[in-house]
Amino acid sequence: MERKDLDAHLKNRPAQLQEAKRKGVKIIGLFPGNYVPEEIIYASGAVPICLAHGGGSEAIDASLAQVPTIMCPFSRAQVGERLLRTNPYYSMVDMLVAPITCQHLKKAAEIWEYHADIDIFKLGVPHQYDTDFGLQYYGERVKALKDRVEAITGNEVTIKRLNEAVGLYNRIRGLLRKISLLRCNSHPPISSLEFLTLNHASFYADPPFMVEVLETVYKEARTAQQGMNVNAPRLLLLGPNVAYGDYKIFELVASNGGEIVVEELCEGIRYYWRDIKTGGDLIESLATGYLRDRVPCAFMRHSARKRLDFALTLVKEYTVSGVIWYELLGCETYDSESYFFAQEMREHKIPMLILESDYGTSDLGQLRIRIEAFIEQIKGAEES
Amino acid sequence: MIELLKLCGFEAEDIESELPRVEKTFTRLGIGEEDINRGKQRLHKYYDMQLEGVRKALGLCIRELVNTVLAREDGKRKILYGFMSPGFSILGTAVVSKSKHVFVADIATCLQFVLGCIFNKMTPILEAAEHKWLKSGKAYHCGNVKTLVGLLALDLIPRPDLLVTSGQLCDTAPKTIDLIQEIYDIKTGTYDVCQDREFREYPDAKRVMEFAAKSFRQLALTIQEVVGFEITQDMLFESINARSKLGKAYRNLQDLQETSDPMPISATHEMLWHCVDTLPHSKSDLKKPAAVLNTAYEELKNRVKKGEGVVQKGAPRIMSLIPHHFTDPRWEHVPYELGIAFVSSETGFFPMHGKHTLDIQEEKPEDPYELMSLGLQSSLAQDLSARTAIILEACKRLKVNGVLARYHVGCRIGVPDALIIKDAITRELGIPVLLQEWEGFDPRIYNEERYKRQLESFKDALNSSLQGN
Repeated sequence: MERKDLDAHLKNRPAQLQEAKRKGVKIIGLFPGNYVPEEIIYASGAVPICLAHGGGSEAIDASLAQVPTIMCPFSRAQVGERLLRTNPYYSMVDMLVAPITCQHLKKAAEIWEYHADIDIFKLGVPHQYDTDFGLQYYGERVKALKDRVEAITGNEVTIKRLNEAVGLYNRIRGLLRKISLLRCNSHPPISSLEFLTLNHASFYADPPFMVEVLETVYKEARTAQQGMNVNAPRLLLLGPNVAYGDYKIFELVASNGGEIVVEELCEGIRYYWRDIKTGGDLIESLATGYLRDRVPCAFMRHSARKRLDFALTLVKEYTVSGVIWYELLGCETYDSESYFFAQEMREHKIPMLILESDYGTSDLGQLRIRIEAFIEQIKGAEES
Repeated sequence: MIELLKLCGFEAEDIESELPRVEKTFTRLGIGEEDINRGKQRLHKYYDMQLEGVRKALGLCIRELVNTVLAREDGKRKILYGFMSPGFSILGTAVVSKSKHVFVADIATCLQFVLGCIFNKMTPILEAAEHKWLKSGKAYHCGNVKTLVGLLALDLIPRPDLLVTSGQLCDTAPKTIDLIQEIYDIKTGTYDVCQDREFREYPDAKRVMEFAAKSFRQLALTIQEVVGFEITQDMLFESINARSKLGKAYRNLQDLQETSDPMPISATHEMLWHCVDTLPHSKSDLKKPAAVLNTAYEELKNRVKKGEGVVQKGAPRIMSLIPHHFTDPRWEHVPYELGIAFVSSETGFFPMHGKHTLDIQEEKPEDPYELMSLGLQSSLAQDLSARTAIILEACKRLKVNGVLARYHVGCRIGVPDALIIKDAITRELGIPVLLQEWEGFDPRIYNEERYKRQLESFKDALNSSLQGN
């Protein structure tokens, strides 16, 4: 199974899903952020699709009829896609599972709900994620999700099927993790953009097919003789979100002689650092895995220090010499944190560049100049 | 200064005892002679200084400011601040009733009223926050959190032993205090909710109320650690009971404003009443603010009886989304100047079944923490569909002829709703709606010419709508 097979699969995927729909299979959309256990949906016989498109202007322009620009462009894109109905994935879903994460995505879900044309399940994600009552609440909501999914599909989510689904998604997570870790090497065998598009593909592709693709990619990457530009400054990308299609930062960094070797993002990337425990009480395992055993996003309470510590671990393990902080316009929690992170990175003598995007093209020139200067600064420091 | 204090309802003996403290506070806050003169002018222009209730309410706000700024000098051993923390005042009353060594304040509301509405001195505070992490510009940070960060950055208020906020409305306040803890090393506490109510569940709020109660209970444990004594259920019930009288006095004023024609007082006062309602005094001290609001109520009821009002009888009636401006009375004053009856704002829109005030005799609740979370039933804490339903209901109940669909640009919970609610009101009720982008805590955005022009056109639309009816 090669990369080109994945491209072909993704090209045919909407038609394949439409066909499945005709046969009675339910397509269940979910918003990204890694707080919706897809395993439950998959185990019910429905197809989970993580709706993560963004980066373009058409959808966010369409959203302006209903929401002002203060909402982040990714959330506006989710509203716009629903209004436009030109993207097949957004048109075909029978139900949306909306994790109540940041205020922006929460609002996008409310707007979908307001239009009341499909079933919405709001999955409460306690922002006091490290409390016992928070975990209990989330576990109860995951159980309620299971009930709702069973009702819409008419299929029982059995322990056996759920266990198999957890195993399958663990394989996806595990392979992504192994591929990502190959980038710790001095010659990363895979570019950040390649890694990210693989990760994004896992939101839409058939999971067993995705496992085969990831296995092939991993084998090839592990034995690859040549890697990325060895002299390029190695960078860590931090931020709230990189949507499916929002790739300009990767292109700008690469074209200016830098190399993003690892990312720590909240939304728009599948969380792959930890597996879900199989066996035992699976709902409890899913709740613990999805809510607690992970790096908390910025909207979580008292999360800044934990994410900073994780970022510093990545800096060390991936031999990073600079950080690019990529935030979306209007994202108040990440914008606030950028100050704290910049301060802390300075103390660790790690240069950090803060960039903002509204998915427009008017700032491309300015972004290019700033990225170029940042990479030159790192190169200069490394040479001296 | 003495003239200002007299104007704000201070009696001669109060002035004698309080003057040095007020002077000390004003000096620390940079309020000089020129500011005091400006303050007096603004009071006469924007507030009904004939009314004793108004004067006394202003006096309470100034006292609260002084008590906050001088809390350490006053010998308070533990200082707790609540910030954007609905229901926290009940815990505040419980702990200050138990120990005179503890000081609790709702840290923003009163300071914003005095520094902003009276003296127009918010700009340096907001700018100080913008020099920290709440930069001005495209991220649209909320002026309310800027106020908190600015006050701490400029060292205008004592460093608290505990800073409390809530995630019941948004993530902005919890994120801000998270960073305050990291950067200023101030202990913080957050109580929360999980806003995953679906409209199909409306108006049932049991699930989120139970969660909120658990979170509140955890906060109480943190407070106990700080103050060094237990907070019992009985203390909370007593606190709820004591505060319910103040809440009722506040609600009476709101009801009078909402139902009278002609309107007896301008809408600039709603923030003053709200401010008095937030004072987390001890049980015995709570009698004073309740008495002040009751005095204002009786004075206004008299006006209503006599048929007197500040705008003509039959004037077009409007209400606004989101609460009135917290630091700048001009936003509510202009409609009054134009003869529009601005009858209410979204400070306390509840569904018809909802509770504005707490009455434990009537309710007989088992869990005080659930009672403290009643604010979750208000429109601002609901999802878009439920909020829209409550707003439509409020429009009908208040018999308004139009709505100011204001959205506070720093607010992620309210802003995205504005366009949709505007459409819903137009479609369902056929009344004019003026969409307005603003910043509810930042006076720098005020542009009188533009605002007046907008409101004049809006008034024409209101009158046409009235004639059509």
